[in-house]
Amino acid sequence: MSCGCKPTYPDRTWHGAAEVIENTAVAEGTYRIRLVCPHLAAHAVPGQFVMLRLRSGDDPLLGRPLAMYEVVLNDAGEPWALDIVYLAIGKMTRCLAMVGSGEQIDVWGPLGNGFPAEPVDHLIMVGGGIGQTPFLALSQEALGRRAYGQADRRPGWAKRATLCYGARSERLLACVDDFCNAGVTVRLATDDGSTGHRGLVTDLIEPLVGESGGSCRIVSCGPEPMLKAVVEIARRLGVPCQASLETPMACGMGICFSCVTKIRDDAGGWDYRRTCIDGPVFDAEKIVFD
Amino acid sequence: MDLQVQLGRLALKNPVMVASGTFGYAREMAGMVELGRLGGIVPKTITRDPRAGNPPPRTVETTAGLLNSIGLDNDGLDAFLQNQFPFLASLDTAIIVSVAGKSYDDFVYLAERLGRVAGVAALELNVSCPNVSGGVDFGTDPSMCEKVVRGVRGVCDLPVLAKLTPNVTSVPAIAQAAADGGADAVALINTCLGMAVDWRRRRPRLGNVLGGLSGPAIKPIALRIVYQVAQAVDIPIVGIGGIASVDDCMEFLVAGASAIQVGTASFYRPSVTMEILDQLPEALRALGADSVSEVIGTLQHPAR
Repeated sequence: MSCGCKPTYPDRTWHGAAEVIENTAVAEGTYRIRLVCPHLAAHAVPGQFVMLRLRSGDDPLLGRPLAMYEVVLNDAGEPWALDIVYLAIGKMTRCLAMVGSGEQIDVWGPLGNGFPAEPVDHLIMVGGGIGQTPFLALSQEALGRRAYGQADRRPGWAKRATLCYGARSERLLACVDDFCNAGVTVRLATDDGSTGHRGLVTDLIEPLVGESGGSCRIVSCGPEPMLKAVVEIARRLGVPCQASLETPMACGMGICFSCVTKIRDDAGGWDYRRTCIDGPVFDAEKIVFD
Repeated sequence: MDLQVQLGRLALKNPVMVASGTFGYAREMAGMVELGRLGGIVPKTITRDPRAGNPPPRTVETTAGLLNSIGLDNDGLDAFLQNQFPFLASLDTAIIVSVAGKSYDDFVYLAERLGRVAGVAALELNVSCPNVSGGVDFGTDPSMCEKVVRGVRGVCDLPVLAKLTPNVTSVPAIAQAAADGGADAVALINTCLGMAVDWRRRRPRLGNVLGGLSGPAIKPIALRIVYQVAQAVDIPIVGIGGIASVDDCMEFLVAGASAIQVGTASFYRPSVTMEILDQLPEALRALGADSVSEVIGTLQHPAR
Protein backbone atom coordinates (compact mmCIF):
# COMPACT_ATOMS: atom_id res chain seq x y z
CA MET A 1 0.00 0.00 0.00
CA SER A 2 1.13 3.46 -0.77
CA CYS A 3 -0.02 6.53 1.12
CA GLY A 4 -0.92 9.74 -0.62
CA CYS A 5 -1.68 8.43 -4.10
CA LYS A 6 -5.43 8.13 -4.23
CA PRO A 7 -8.05 10.13 -2.36
CA THR A 8 -9.99 8.47 0.44
CA TYR A 9 -13.46 9.83 -0.17
CA PRO A 10 -15.61 10.13 2.96
CA ASP A 11 -18.10 7.56 1.70
CA ARG A 12 -18.56 5.76 5.02
CA THR A 13 -18.70 8.93 7.01
CA TRP A 14 -21.24 9.57 9.72
CA HIS A 15 -22.23 13.07 10.69
CA GLY A 16 -24.52 14.27 13.39
CA ALA A 17 -24.76 15.34 16.99
CA ALA A 18 -22.83 13.19 19.45
CA GLU A 19 -23.34 13.21 23.20
CA VAL A 20 -20.30 14.02 25.31
CA ILE A 21 -19.84 11.41 28.04
CA GLU A 22 -16.75 12.91 29.61
CA ASN A 23 -14.23 15.66 28.92
CA THR A 24 -11.39 15.57 31.40
CA ALA A 25 -7.91 17.01 31.73
CA VAL A 26 -5.16 14.44 31.19
CA ALA A 27 -2.13 16.76 31.21
CA GLU A 28 -1.49 20.49 31.24
CA GLY A 29 -3.83 22.02 28.65
CA THR A 30 -4.64 18.55 27.32
CA TYR A 31 -8.06 16.90 27.49
CA ARG A 32 -9.70 13.63 26.59
CA ILE A 33 -13.26 13.88 25.30
CA ARG A 34 -15.51 10.84 24.88
CA LEU A 35 -18.26 11.02 22.26
CA VAL A 36 -21.08 8.55 21.69
CA CYS A 37 -21.11 7.78 17.95
CA PRO A 38 -21.40 4.01 17.32
CA HIS A 39 -21.36 4.09 13.51
CA LEU A 40 -18.31 6.32 13.40
CA ALA A 41 -16.57 4.23 16.07
CA ALA A 42 -17.26 1.06 14.09
CA HIS A 43 -15.59 2.37 10.95
CA ALA A 44 -12.65 4.40 12.24
CA VAL A 45 -9.15 3.00 11.75
CA PRO A 46 -5.87 4.18 13.32
CA GLY A 47 -4.59 7.40 11.79
CA GLN A 48 -7.98 8.64 10.69
CA PHE A 49 -9.47 11.80 12.13
CA VAL A 50 -12.82 13.39 12.82
CA MET A 51 -14.09 16.94 12.58
CA LEU A 52 -15.61 18.38 15.75
CA ARG A 53 -17.75 21.50 15.82
CA LEU A 54 -19.49 23.30 18.65
CA ARG A 55 -23.24 23.65 18.32
CA SER A 56 -23.39 26.98 20.14
CA GLY A 57 -23.22 29.35 17.15
CA ASP A 58 -21.07 30.67 14.35
CA ASP A 59 -17.99 31.75 16.29
CA PRO A 60 -15.89 29.67 16.10
CA LEU A 61 -17.35 28.90 12.69
CA LEU A 62 -15.56 25.81 11.44
CA GLY A 63 -14.98 22.33 12.73
CA ARG A 64 -11.50 21.24 13.76
CA PRO A 65 -9.72 18.06 12.68
CA LEU A 66 -8.66 15.84 15.57
CA ALA A 67 -7.12 12.39 15.46
CA MET A 68 -8.98 9.36 16.71
CA TYR A 69 -7.37 8.32 19.98
CA GLU A 70 -9.31 5.19 20.87
CA VAL A 71 -12.57 3.39 20.19
CA VAL A 72 -14.57 2.60 23.33
CA LEU A 73 -16.63 -0.60 23.38
CA ASN A 74 -19.99 -1.05 25.10
CA ASP A 75 -20.84 -3.90 27.45
CA ALA A 76 -21.63 -6.11 24.47
CA GLY A 77 -18.14 -5.50 23.11
CA GLU A 78 -19.38 -3.39 20.20
CA PRO A 79 -17.85 -0.07 19.10
CA TRP A 80 -19.82 2.62 20.88
CA ALA A 81 -17.87 5.80 21.56
CA LEU A 82 -14.79 7.61 20.39
CA ASP A 83 -12.05 9.09 22.53
CA ILE A 84 -10.23 12.17 21.26
CA VAL A 85 -7.22 13.63 23.07
CA TYR A 86 -6.63 17.29 22.25
CA LEU A 87 -4.61 20.29 23.26
CA ALA A 88 -6.63 23.41 24.13
CA ILE A 89 -4.56 25.83 22.13
CA GLY A 90 -6.84 27.99 19.95
CA LYS A 91 -10.29 29.56 20.04
CA MET A 92 -12.20 26.39 19.22
CA THR A 93 -10.26 23.91 21.34
CA ARG A 94 -10.43 26.26 24.35
CA CYS A 95 -14.22 26.34 23.94
CA LEU A 96 -14.23 22.57 23.49
CA ALA A 97 -12.50 22.16 26.84
CA MET A 98 -15.50 23.88 28.48
CA VAL A 99 -18.05 21.40 27.09
CA GLY A 100 -19.56 19.25 29.82
CA SER A 101 -20.94 15.73 30.03
CA GLY A 102 -24.43 15.41 28.59
CA GLU A 103 -23.90 18.21 26.06
CA GLN A 104 -23.83 17.51 22.33
CA ILE A 105 -21.34 18.50 19.68
CA ASP A 106 -21.35 18.03 15.92
CA VAL A 107 -19.08 15.33 14.58
CA TRP A 108 -18.26 14.06 11.12
CA GLY A 109 -15.90 11.26 10.25
CA PRO A 110 -13.97 9.06 10.12
CA LEU A 111 -11.92 10.97 7.57
CA GLY A 112 -8.61 10.46 5.81
CA ASN A 113 -6.64 7.36 4.96
CA GLY A 114 -5.11 6.13 8.23
CA PHE A 115 -1.85 4.25 8.70
CA PRO A 116 -1.22 1.08 6.69
CA ALA A 117 -1.56 -2.22 8.60
CA GLU A 118 1.41 -3.89 6.95
CA PRO A 119 3.45 -6.57 8.73
CA VAL A 120 6.72 -5.43 10.33
CA ASP A 121 8.91 -6.68 13.16
CA HIS A 122 9.32 -3.39 14.97
CA LEU A 123 6.93 -0.45 14.67
CA ILE A 124 8.63 2.75 15.80
CA MET A 125 6.19 5.60 16.46
CA VAL A 126 7.51 9.12 16.82
CA GLY A 127 5.17 11.72 18.30
CA GLY A 128 5.90 15.32 19.23
CA GLY A 129 3.69 17.80 21.06
CA ILE A 130 0.17 16.36 20.77
CA GLY A 131 1.36 14.04 17.95
CA GLN A 132 1.20 10.90 20.08
CA THR A 133 -2.59 10.74 19.77
CA PRO A 134 -2.94 8.62 16.60
CA PHE A 135 -0.58 6.00 17.97
CA LEU A 136 -2.51 4.36 20.83
CA ALA A 137 -5.03 2.72 18.51
CA LEU A 138 -2.26 1.96 16.04
CA SER A 139 -0.25 0.14 18.73
CA GLN A 140 -3.28 -1.77 19.94
CA GLU A 141 -3.91 -2.99 16.43
CA ALA A 142 -0.25 -3.63 15.61
CA LEU A 143 0.23 -5.77 18.70
CA GLY A 144 -3.01 -7.69 18.10
CA ARG A 145 -4.85 -6.40 21.15
CA ARG A 146 -7.67 -4.65 19.30
CA ALA A 147 -9.28 -4.59 15.87
CA TYR A 148 -10.57 -1.44 14.18
CA GLY A 149 -12.82 -0.67 11.27
CA GLN A 150 -14.29 -3.36 9.10
CA ALA A 151 -12.69 -6.70 8.29
CA ASP A 152 -10.11 -5.37 5.83
CA ARG A 153 -7.41 -4.82 8.48
CA ARG A 154 -5.88 -7.82 10.25
CA PRO A 155 -4.60 -7.02 13.77
CA GLY A 156 -1.31 -8.32 15.08
CA TRP A 157 0.87 -7.07 12.25
CA ALA A 158 3.89 -6.06 14.39
CA LYS A 159 5.99 -8.07 16.85
CA ARG A 160 6.90 -5.06 18.97
CA ALA A 161 6.03 -1.39 19.15
CA THR A 162 7.98 1.54 20.59
CA LEU A 163 6.70 5.07 21.12
CA CYS A 164 9.22 7.91 21.06
CA TYR A 165 7.31 10.80 22.58
CA GLY A 166 8.64 14.29 23.02
CA ALA A 167 7.22 17.45 24.58
CA ARG A 168 8.57 20.66 26.06
CA SER A 169 8.20 19.40 29.61
CA GLU A 170 6.95 16.42 31.64
CA ARG A 171 3.73 18.20 32.65
CA LEU A 172 2.67 18.29 29.00
CA LEU A 173 3.07 14.55 28.41
CA ALA A 174 -0.38 13.00 28.12
CA CYS A 175 -1.62 9.41 28.34
CA VAL A 176 1.80 7.75 28.70
CA ASP A 177 0.25 5.07 30.92
CA ASP A 178 -2.20 4.10 28.18
CA PHE A 179 0.73 3.20 25.94
CA CYS A 180 2.53 1.27 28.68
CA ASN A 181 -0.66 -0.68 29.41
CA ALA A 182 -0.97 -1.50 25.72
CA GLY A 183 2.39 -3.25 25.74
CA VAL A 184 4.26 -0.43 24.04
CA THR A 185 7.82 0.42 24.99
CA VAL A 186 7.83 4.16 25.72
CA ARG A 187 10.87 6.41 25.31
CA LEU A 188 10.39 10.00 26.41
CA ALA A 189 12.19 13.20 25.57
CA THR A 190 11.65 16.68 27.01
CA ASP A 191 13.20 19.98 26.06
CA ASP A 192 13.81 20.88 29.73
CA GLY A 193 14.99 17.42 30.81
CA SER A 194 12.18 17.11 33.39
CA THR A 195 11.83 13.47 32.38
CA GLY A 196 13.43 11.11 29.89
CA HIS A 197 16.03 12.24 27.38
CA ARG A 198 16.86 15.94 27.59
CA GLY A 199 16.67 17.05 24.01
CA LEU A 200 14.85 16.22 20.83
CA VAL A 201 12.61 13.20 20.43
CA THR A 202 14.31 12.55 17.12
CA ASP A 203 17.56 11.78 19.00
CA LEU A 204 15.91 8.55 20.18
CA ILE A 205 15.26 7.05 16.76
CA GLU A 206 18.63 5.91 15.48
CA PRO A 207 19.65 3.78 18.50
CA LEU A 208 16.24 2.04 18.36
CA VAL A 209 16.65 1.16 14.72
CA GLY A 210 20.17 -0.07 15.44
CA GLU A 211 19.02 -2.53 18.12
CA SER A 212 15.92 -3.74 16.28
CA GLY A 213 17.38 -6.77 14.56
CA GLY A 214 14.45 -7.38 12.18
CA SER A 215 12.47 -5.11 9.93
CA CYS A 216 11.47 -1.64 11.12
CA ARG A 217 8.95 0.95 10.08
CA ILE A 218 8.76 4.48 11.39
CA VAL A 219 5.49 6.36 11.67
CA SER A 220 5.45 9.95 12.80
CA CYS A 221 3.10 12.73 13.79
CA GLY A 222 3.88 16.16 15.17
CA PRO A 223 5.11 19.62 14.24
CA GLU A 224 6.58 20.00 10.77
CA PRO A 225 10.23 20.61 11.83
CA MET A 226 10.10 17.33 13.78
CA LEU A 227 8.53 15.47 10.87
CA LYS A 228 11.18 16.81 8.55
CA ALA A 229 13.92 15.55 10.89
CA VAL A 230 12.26 12.13 11.26
CA VAL A 231 11.94 11.78 7.50
CA GLU A 232 15.63 12.64 7.03
CA ILE A 233 16.70 10.10 9.66
CA ALA A 234 14.52 7.40 8.12
CA ARG A 235 15.92 8.10 4.68
CA ARG A 236 19.51 7.98 5.95
CA LEU A 237 18.89 4.69 7.75
CA GLY A 238 16.94 3.21 4.87
CA VAL A 239 13.85 2.60 7.01
CA PRO A 240 10.36 2.90 5.49
CA CYS A 241 8.53 5.86 6.99
CA GLN A 242 5.11 7.46 6.95
CA ALA A 243 4.18 10.81 8.39
CA SER A 244 0.76 12.11 9.43
CA LEU A 245 0.53 15.82 8.73
CA GLU A 246 -1.12 18.35 11.03
CA THR A 247 -2.04 20.80 8.25
CA PRO A 248 -4.84 23.16 9.28
CA MET A 249 -8.15 22.26 7.61
CA ALA A 250 -11.42 24.06 7.01
CA CYS A 251 -13.70 21.14 6.02
CA GLY A 252 -11.82 17.84 6.41
CA MET A 253 -13.70 16.35 3.44
CA GLY A 254 -11.80 17.53 0.38
CA ILE A 255 -14.13 20.31 -0.74
CA CYS A 256 -12.25 23.46 0.28
CA PHE A 257 -8.66 22.91 -0.94
CA SER A 258 -7.23 24.68 2.14
CA CYS A 259 -5.13 21.92 3.65
CA VAL A 260 -2.81 21.37 0.74
CA THR A 261 0.76 20.20 1.04
CA LYS A 262 3.45 19.71 -1.57
CA ILE A 263 3.50 16.07 -2.69
CA ARG A 264 5.90 14.69 -5.29
CA ASP A 265 4.32 13.53 -8.52
CA ASP A 266 5.47 10.81 -10.91
CA ALA A 267 6.96 13.36 -13.30
CA GLY A 268 9.55 14.46 -10.73
CA GLY A 269 7.80 17.69 -9.82
CA TRP A 270 5.23 18.36 -7.12
CA ASP A 271 1.61 19.33 -6.82
CA TYR A 272 -0.46 20.66 -3.95
CA ARG A 273 -2.53 17.76 -2.63
CA ARG A 274 -5.30 17.81 -0.10
CA THR A 275 -4.02 16.53 3.25
CA CYS A 276 -7.55 15.59 4.35
CA ILE A 277 -8.43 13.09 1.61
CA ASP A 278 -5.05 12.32 0.04
CA GLY A 279 -3.58 11.95 3.56
CA PRO A 280 -3.21 12.81 6.36
CA VAL A 281 -0.73 9.90 6.25
CA PHE A 282 1.81 10.18 3.44
CA ASP A 283 4.81 8.07 2.51
CA ALA A 284 7.74 10.12 3.75
CA GLU A 285 9.57 10.25 0.43
CA LYS A 286 6.55 11.84 -1.23
CA ILE A 287 6.43 14.89 1.06
CA VAL A 288 8.23 18.02 -0.12
CA PHE A 289 9.28 20.02 2.95
CA ASP A 290 9.94 23.71 2.38
CA MET B 1 -45.19 22.47 -3.65
CA ASP B 2 -43.67 23.67 -6.89
CA LEU B 3 -39.96 24.20 -6.28
CA GLN B 4 -38.94 24.71 -9.91
CA VAL B 5 -37.19 27.90 -10.86
CA GLN B 6 -36.07 29.38 -14.14
CA LEU B 7 -32.79 31.23 -14.69
CA GLY B 8 -33.22 32.51 -18.23
CA ARG B 9 -32.88 29.43 -20.39
CA LEU B 10 -31.77 27.26 -17.44
CA ALA B 11 -34.52 25.38 -15.60
CA LEU B 12 -33.76 23.99 -12.14
CA LYS B 13 -35.87 21.49 -10.25
CA ASN B 14 -35.39 23.52 -7.10
CA PRO B 15 -33.54 26.71 -6.11
CA VAL B 16 -30.87 25.12 -3.87
CA MET B 17 -27.44 24.80 -5.46
CA VAL B 18 -23.92 24.50 -4.12
CA ALA B 19 -21.38 27.20 -4.92
CA SER B 20 -18.14 26.77 -6.83
CA GLY B 21 -15.05 26.24 -4.71
CA THR B 22 -17.07 25.06 -1.74
CA PHE B 23 -18.11 21.59 -2.86
CA GLY B 24 -15.02 20.21 -4.60
CA TYR B 25 -16.10 18.21 -7.63
CA ALA B 26 -19.09 16.76 -5.71
CA ARG B 27 -17.60 13.24 -5.66
CA GLU B 28 -16.10 14.12 -2.29
CA MET B 29 -19.58 14.67 -0.83
CA ALA B 30 -21.34 11.63 -2.30
CA GLY B 31 -21.33 9.91 1.09
CA MET B 32 -22.66 12.94 2.96
CA VAL B 33 -25.23 14.54 0.63
CA GLU B 34 -27.93 13.12 -1.66
CA LEU B 35 -26.46 14.88 -4.66
CA GLY B 36 -29.45 14.18 -6.90
CA ARG B 37 -31.71 16.24 -4.65
CA LEU B 38 -29.76 19.43 -5.31
CA GLY B 39 -31.16 21.95 -7.75
CA GLY B 40 -27.71 22.28 -9.24
CA ILE B 41 -24.04 21.76 -8.61
CA VAL B 42 -21.34 24.25 -9.50
CA PRO B 43 -18.02 22.39 -9.33
CA LYS B 44 -14.78 24.11 -8.43
CA THR B 45 -13.76 26.68 -11.06
CA ILE B 46 -11.68 25.35 -13.92
CA THR B 47 -9.19 27.18 -16.06
CA ARG B 48 -7.80 26.43 -19.50
CA ASP B 49 -4.49 25.16 -18.12
CA PRO B 50 -3.61 23.58 -14.75
CA ARG B 51 -2.98 25.97 -11.85
CA ALA B 52 -1.11 24.98 -8.67
CA GLY B 53 -2.93 27.64 -6.66
CA ASN B 54 -1.57 29.87 -3.92
CA PRO B 55 0.85 28.87 -1.16
CA PRO B 56 -0.58 27.90 2.25
CA PRO B 57 -1.94 29.02 4.62
CA ARG B 58 -4.85 29.29 2.23
CA THR B 59 -7.63 29.88 4.72
CA VAL B 60 -8.01 31.56 8.07
CA GLU B 61 -11.10 31.68 10.20
CA THR B 62 -12.38 35.09 11.27
CA THR B 63 -15.38 36.05 13.38
CA ALA B 64 -18.29 34.11 11.83
CA GLY B 65 -16.39 34.05 8.56
CA LEU B 66 -13.67 32.43 6.53
CA LEU B 67 -10.95 34.17 4.55
CA ASN B 68 -9.52 32.23 1.67
CA SER B 69 -6.79 32.65 -0.90
CA ILE B 70 -6.96 29.26 -2.61
CA GLY B 71 -6.04 30.75 -5.98
CA LEU B 72 -8.07 28.59 -8.37
CA ASP B 73 -6.04 25.43 -7.71
CA ASN B 74 -7.24 23.10 -10.47
CA ASP B 75 -5.90 20.60 -12.99
CA GLY B 76 -7.21 22.42 -16.08
CA LEU B 77 -10.03 21.74 -18.54
CA ASP B 78 -8.76 18.48 -20.03
CA ALA B 79 -8.15 16.82 -16.66
CA PHE B 80 -11.56 18.04 -15.46
CA LEU B 81 -13.33 16.50 -18.43
CA GLN B 82 -11.43 13.26 -18.07
CA ASN B 83 -11.37 12.79 -14.29
CA GLN B 84 -14.18 14.78 -12.73
CA PHE B 85 -16.91 15.37 -15.28
CA PRO B 86 -18.07 11.75 -15.88
CA PHE B 87 -19.16 11.45 -12.24
CA LEU B 88 -20.84 14.86 -12.31
CA ALA B 89 -22.66 14.03 -15.55
CA SER B 90 -24.05 10.85 -13.98
CA LEU B 91 -25.94 12.85 -11.35
CA ASP B 92 -29.61 13.75 -11.62
CA THR B 93 -29.01 17.46 -11.17
CA ALA B 94 -27.95 20.45 -13.27
CA ILE B 95 -24.17 20.69 -13.63
CA ILE B 96 -23.19 24.31 -14.05
CA VAL B 97 -19.51 24.45 -14.95
CA SER B 98 -17.62 27.38 -13.46
CA VAL B 99 -14.85 28.75 -15.66
CA ALA B 100 -12.26 31.46 -15.22
CA GLY B 101 -9.84 32.96 -17.69
CA LYS B 102 -7.03 35.46 -17.65
CA SER B 103 -8.09 36.75 -21.03
CA TYR B 104 -11.12 37.11 -23.28
CA ASP B 105 -9.68 34.32 -25.42
CA ASP B 106 -9.46 31.97 -22.41
CA PHE B 107 -13.16 32.44 -21.63
CA VAL B 108 -14.16 31.96 -25.24
CA TYR B 109 -11.97 28.86 -25.59
CA LEU B 110 -13.43 27.28 -22.44
CA ALA B 111 -17.00 28.10 -23.51
CA GLU B 112 -16.49 26.70 -26.99
CA ARG B 113 -15.06 23.43 -25.64
CA LEU B 114 -17.67 23.01 -22.90
CA GLY B 115 -20.50 23.90 -25.27
CA ARG B 116 -19.76 20.66 -27.10
CA VAL B 117 -19.79 18.47 -23.96
CA ALA B 118 -23.03 16.58 -23.37
CA GLY B 119 -24.25 16.90 -19.80
CA VAL B 120 -23.19 20.47 -19.13
CA ALA B 121 -26.36 22.36 -18.15
CA ALA B 122 -24.88 25.86 -18.08
CA LEU B 123 -21.72 27.90 -17.63
CA GLU B 124 -20.94 30.15 -14.70
CA LEU B 125 -18.37 32.77 -15.62
CA ASN B 126 -16.15 33.43 -12.62
CA VAL B 127 -15.22 37.01 -13.43
CA SER B 128 -14.80 37.71 -9.75
CA CYS B 129 -12.12 35.60 -8.08
CA PRO B 130 -10.15 37.97 -5.84
CA ASN B 131 -7.21 35.60 -5.52
CA VAL B 132 -5.69 35.56 -8.96
CA SER B 133 -3.99 38.31 -10.87
CA GLY B 134 -5.58 38.96 -14.22
CA GLY B 135 -9.16 38.13 -15.03
CA VAL B 136 -10.79 40.20 -12.32
CA ASP B 137 -11.08 43.12 -14.73
CA PHE B 138 -13.95 41.28 -16.36
CA GLY B 139 -15.89 41.69 -13.14
CA THR B 140 -14.98 45.29 -12.37
CA ASP B 141 -15.21 47.00 -15.76
CA PRO B 142 -18.74 47.01 -17.25
CA SER B 143 -17.61 47.11 -20.87
CA MET B 144 -15.21 44.20 -20.40
CA CYS B 145 -17.89 42.22 -18.56
CA GLU B 146 -20.35 42.78 -21.39
CA LYS B 147 -17.74 41.82 -23.96
CA VAL B 148 -16.77 38.55 -22.30
CA VAL B 149 -20.39 37.48 -21.79
CA ARG B 150 -21.17 38.34 -25.40
CA GLY B 151 -18.10 36.45 -26.57
CA VAL B 152 -19.10 33.35 -24.64
CA ARG B 153 -22.69 33.56 -25.91
CA GLY B 154 -21.32 33.76 -29.42
CA VAL B 155 -19.49 30.43 -29.30
CA CYS B 156 -21.85 28.20 -27.31
CA ASP B 157 -25.55 27.67 -26.82
CA LEU B 158 -25.39 26.98 -23.08
CA PRO B 159 -27.16 29.23 -20.59
CA VAL B 160 -24.65 31.63 -19.06
CA LEU B 161 -24.46 32.89 -15.47
CA ALA B 162 -22.07 35.71 -14.61
CA LYS B 163 -20.75 35.47 -11.05
CA LEU B 164 -19.88 38.94 -9.88
CA THR B 165 -17.65 40.45 -7.28
CA PRO B 166 -18.91 42.72 -4.48
CA ASN B 167 -15.58 44.57 -4.54
CA VAL B 168 -16.77 47.38 -6.81
CA THR B 169 -18.53 50.69 -6.23
CA SER B 170 -21.71 49.62 -8.01
CA VAL B 171 -22.63 46.00 -8.66
CA PRO B 172 -25.83 46.94 -10.55
CA ALA B 173 -23.73 48.60 -13.26
CA ILE B 174 -21.71 45.41 -13.78
CA ALA B 175 -24.84 43.25 -13.59
CA GLN B 176 -26.52 45.43 -16.24
CA ALA B 177 -23.46 44.98 -18.44
CA ALA B 178 -23.68 41.20 -18.01
CA ALA B 179 -27.37 41.37 -18.95
CA ASP B 180 -26.56 43.50 -21.99
CA GLY B 181 -23.97 40.92 -23.03
CA GLY B 182 -26.63 38.23 -22.96
CA ALA B 183 -26.22 36.59 -19.54
CA ASP B 184 -29.16 34.43 -18.52
CA ALA B 185 -28.61 35.35 -14.87
CA VAL B 186 -26.14 36.91 -12.49
CA ALA B 187 -24.75 35.10 -9.43
CA LEU B 188 -24.19 37.44 -6.47
CA ILE B 189 -21.83 37.56 -4.66
CA ASN B 190 -18.31 36.19 -4.78
CA THR B 191 -16.18 36.81 -1.67
CA CYS B 192 -15.44 40.20 -0.13
CA LEU B 193 -11.79 41.13 -0.25
CA GLY B 194 -10.30 41.00 3.22
CA MET B 195 -7.22 40.42 5.33
CA ALA B 196 -6.09 38.95 8.63
CA VAL B 197 -2.95 39.99 10.51
CA ASP B 198 -0.82 38.24 13.11
CA TRP B 199 0.50 41.32 14.90
CA ARG B 200 2.92 39.42 17.12
CA ARG B 201 4.78 38.17 14.09
CA ARG B 202 3.91 41.27 12.05
CA ARG B 203 2.72 39.00 9.25
CA PRO B 204 -0.42 38.49 7.21
CA ARG B 205 -2.13 35.26 8.19
CA LEU B 206 -2.80 34.24 4.58
CA GLY B 207 -0.03 32.96 2.34
CA ASN B 208 -1.26 35.29 -0.40
CA VAL B 209 -1.67 38.27 2.02
CA LEU B 210 -5.19 39.22 0.85
CA GLY B 211 -8.12 36.86 0.53
CA GLY B 212 -11.85 36.59 0.05
CA LEU B 213 -14.21 36.62 3.02
CA SER B 214 -17.17 34.24 3.04
CA GLY B 215 -19.58 32.77 5.55
CA PRO B 216 -22.28 34.25 7.79
CA ALA B 217 -20.23 37.45 8.23
CA ILE B 218 -20.99 38.56 4.66
CA LYS B 219 -24.68 37.67 4.44
CA PRO B 220 -25.93 41.24 5.01
CA ILE B 221 -23.63 42.51 2.25
CA ALA B 222 -24.85 39.81 -0.13
CA LEU B 223 -28.49 40.52 0.64
CA ARG B 224 -27.97 44.23 0.05
CA ILE B 225 -26.37 43.60 -3.32
CA VAL B 226 -29.02 41.09 -4.41
CA TYR B 227 -31.67 43.63 -3.44
CA GLN B 228 -29.95 46.49 -5.28
CA VAL B 229 -29.45 44.46 -8.43
CA ALA B 230 -33.01 43.13 -8.32
CA GLN B 231 -34.27 46.73 -8.30
CA ALA B 232 -32.09 47.74 -11.23
CA VAL B 233 -31.58 44.82 -13.60
CA ASP B 234 -34.11 42.69 -15.41
CA ILE B 235 -32.49 39.23 -15.37
CA PRO B 236 -32.73 36.52 -12.69
CA ILE B 237 -30.35 36.54 -9.74
CA VAL B 238 -28.68 33.65 -7.93
CA GLY B 239 -28.07 34.68 -4.32
CA ILE B 240 -24.83 33.62 -2.65
CA GLY B 241 -23.18 34.70 0.60
CA GLY B 242 -23.42 33.20 4.05
CA ILE B 243 -26.47 31.04 3.39
CA ALA B 244 -26.63 28.37 6.07
CA SER B 245 -30.32 27.78 6.79
CA VAL B 246 -33.77 27.80 5.24
CA ASP B 247 -34.32 31.24 6.78
CA ASP B 248 -31.25 32.56 4.96
CA CYS B 249 -32.51 30.99 1.74
CA MET B 250 -35.94 32.61 2.13
CA GLU B 251 -34.38 36.01 2.87
CA PHE B 252 -32.53 35.90 -0.44
CA LEU B 253 -35.61 34.78 -2.38
CA VAL B 254 -37.72 37.56 -0.93
CA ALA B 255 -34.96 40.10 -1.57
CA GLY B 256 -34.98 39.19 -5.25
CA ALA B 257 -32.97 36.02 -5.87
CA SER B 258 -34.57 33.29 -8.01
CA ALA B 259 -32.22 30.63 -6.65
CA ILE B 260 -29.42 30.37 -4.12
CA GLN B 261 -26.04 28.74 -3.73
CA VAL B 262 -24.80 27.40 -0.42
CA GLY B 263 -21.06 27.92 -0.02
CA THR B 264 -18.99 27.96 3.15
CA ALA B 265 -21.77 26.37 5.22
CA SER B 266 -21.08 23.03 3.51
CA PHE B 267 -17.64 23.11 5.17
CA TYR B 268 -19.06 23.12 8.68
CA ARG B 269 -22.50 21.53 8.20
CA PRO B 270 -21.92 18.98 5.44
CA SER B 271 -25.62 18.23 4.83
CA VAL B 272 -26.91 21.80 5.23
CA THR B 273 -28.36 21.74 1.69
CA MET B 274 -30.50 18.73 2.56
CA GLU B 275 -31.80 20.53 5.67
CA ILE B 276 -32.73 23.55 3.56
CA LEU B 277 -34.51 21.36 1.00
CA ASP B 278 -36.37 19.50 3.77
CA GLN B 279 -37.59 22.75 5.30
CA LEU B 280 -38.20 24.87 2.20
CA PRO B 281 -41.79 23.74 1.44
CA GLU B 282 -42.92 24.60 4.97
CA ALA B 283 -41.22 28.00 4.81
CA LEU B 284 -42.97 28.75 1.51
CA ARG B 285 -46.30 27.65 2.97
CA ALA B 286 -45.76 30.06 5.83
CA LEU B 287 -46.00 32.84 3.24
CA GLY B 288 -49.07 31.24 1.72
CA ALA B 289 -47.14 30.30 -1.43
CA ASP B 290 -47.56 27.17 -3.53
CA SER B 291 -44.36 27.74 -5.47
CA VAL B 292 -40.93 29.29 -5.12
CA SER B 293 -41.64 31.73 -7.94
CA GLU B 294 -44.47 33.33 -5.92
CA VAL B 295 -42.06 34.64 -3.29
CA ILE B 296 -39.16 35.83 -5.45
CA GLY B 297 -38.59 39.56 -5.06
CA THR B 298 -41.68 40.12 -2.91
CA LEU B 299 -39.99 42.37 -0.37
CA GLN B 300 -42.44 44.93 0.99
CA HIS B 301 -40.99 48.41 1.21
CA PRO B 302 -41.77 50.31 4.37
CA ALA B 303 -43.89 53.42 3.91
CA ARG B 304 -41.84 56.58 4.16
